[in-house]
Amino acid sequence: MLIVGIIIGFGIGYFTPSLVASDDYDVIKARGSIIVGTNTNWPPFEIFNTTSNQIEGFDIDLAELVADYLNVTTQWIDMDFDNLIGACQAGTIDMIASATFITAARCAVLQPLTWYIRTNEVVVTKANSTLVIDELADLVGLDVGVQTGTVEDEELSDITNMEATLTRYPVVETMFQALDTGTLDAIYVDEPIVGLYSTVYSVKIIFTVTAPPTAFYIRYGSDRLSAAINSAIAEGFADGTVDALIAKWFG
Amino acid sequence: MQEVEGLLDILYLITIRGLSTTLALTLISLAFGFVVGTALALMRVYGPFELQLIAKGYEKIFRGIPLLVLLFIFGAALLGWFMWAGSVIAALFVAAVFALALRSAAYQSELFRGSILSVDVGQMMAARSIGMTEMQATRHIILPQAFRLSLPGWTNEYAVVIKDSSLASAIGVTEMLYQAQAFTNTYPALFLGIILVISIIYFIFTYPITKYVGESMTAKLRQLGLGGGKQ
Repeated sequence: MLIVGIIIGFGIGYFTPSLVASDDYDVIKARGSIIVGTNTNWPPFEIFNTTSNQIEGFDIDLAELVADYLNVTTQWIDMDFDNLIGACQAGTIDMIASATFITAARCAVLQPLTWYIRTNEVVVTKANSTLVIDELADLVGLDVGVQTGTVEDEELSDITNMEATLTRYPVVETMFQALDTGTLDAIYVDEPIVGLYSTVYSVKIIFTVTAPPTAFYIRYGSDRLSAAINSAIAEGFADGTVDALIAKWFG
Repeated sequence: MQEVEGLLDILYLITIRGLSTTLALTLISLAFGFVVGTALALMRVYGPFELQLIAKGYEKIFRGIPLLVLLFIFGAALLGWFMWAGSVIAALFVAAVFALALRSAAYQSELFRGSILSVDVGQMMAARSIGMTEMQATRHIILPQAFRLSLPGWTNEYAVVIKDSSLASAIGVTEMLYQAQAFTNTYPALFLGIILVISIIYFIFTYPITKYVGESMTAKLRQLGLGGGKQ
């Protein structure tokens, strides 16, 4: 009885918002703020600034620009990267701004907005490593680290026989630690974040792949919201604001 | 990149920013868990069959779900329930308290049930025979003794909750571990130092309580002839 009651209760609680919810655009306007999800261990896209006690980064500034265009404020939630998609589907967050690549799997459940930057994915090893690879499949048999739920994770998971020696880390920092102590032979990450870690660890990039474009994501169902955010980003490109942000964060 | 601060500065910043949230999470969760746990324990000991079943079911469910999963349920999937708190930051805090308190209530209920049962049944009979109602006897005779008996075990629950409150960092509550992770992201070279520093802070807030409240209470109870073990 109790279990049935709890299941029904949770079920009603889960579905009620979707029954009464109107257009996301109206919800955000009425609330006066847009709730944005991110994962702050991906400098320079998003990082928690320990001096100012606030999050900052390229995605943060770009989302603020979008919020200004919508004439609302932003409220940030910092959560594990692999929870972002689920949280956006469940309605906990209105938008994902976390250097999220556009992939078919993500587009199946969430709506990507216009893409705003394209970076590289790189295979990183210790500086004294003699490892040479010509394609990602050459990593089979080596101890390789990726961040859970990223495109790098997907790409490596698709390679046959990779699974046995692939380690997934929720936090990038621990992955670089593992590389430095020799637990991992190589790691596969976004190129921009290697910048910070290369100042601490002696690492080198041995292989580069062009990554899919990066975009914000929202739930399907609100054309007005996607149109407004796309116009905000397009306007940012037109008047040079986005280029200024790219120069600011990527040097 | 920012200028690298000394480890002492980092310790100071983590403490002033994160410790208050960690302690608030712990104490509020323990307080709610205490109220709900006591109610559940009384339901299981004195309640009619239906209430016993509800209390039992509650304990089984919340002792069977990992805290991290509870945090994801309330903090990531159902955060909308807590938006009455005003802002997202407040809602995340309430969600974390909710998860910690529900879980703690299940464990505290077991703890209190054990100590209520260990108060001699003759005490209830004696209280009833001098004209107290069952409610009065429970409140004035049974519970004061039961709580005293459960204190050593309860300090253990405190130790569990203060350490498990660190899991709330996974949903973005800015408690001590979250602050520590932010610092390790900014200063990867100080990773080990920062992790050691917060280990020490957690230890400082756990050890004295379990030592002086827990162990001294055990000794005191033993003087009163309660509790087993070597004399």
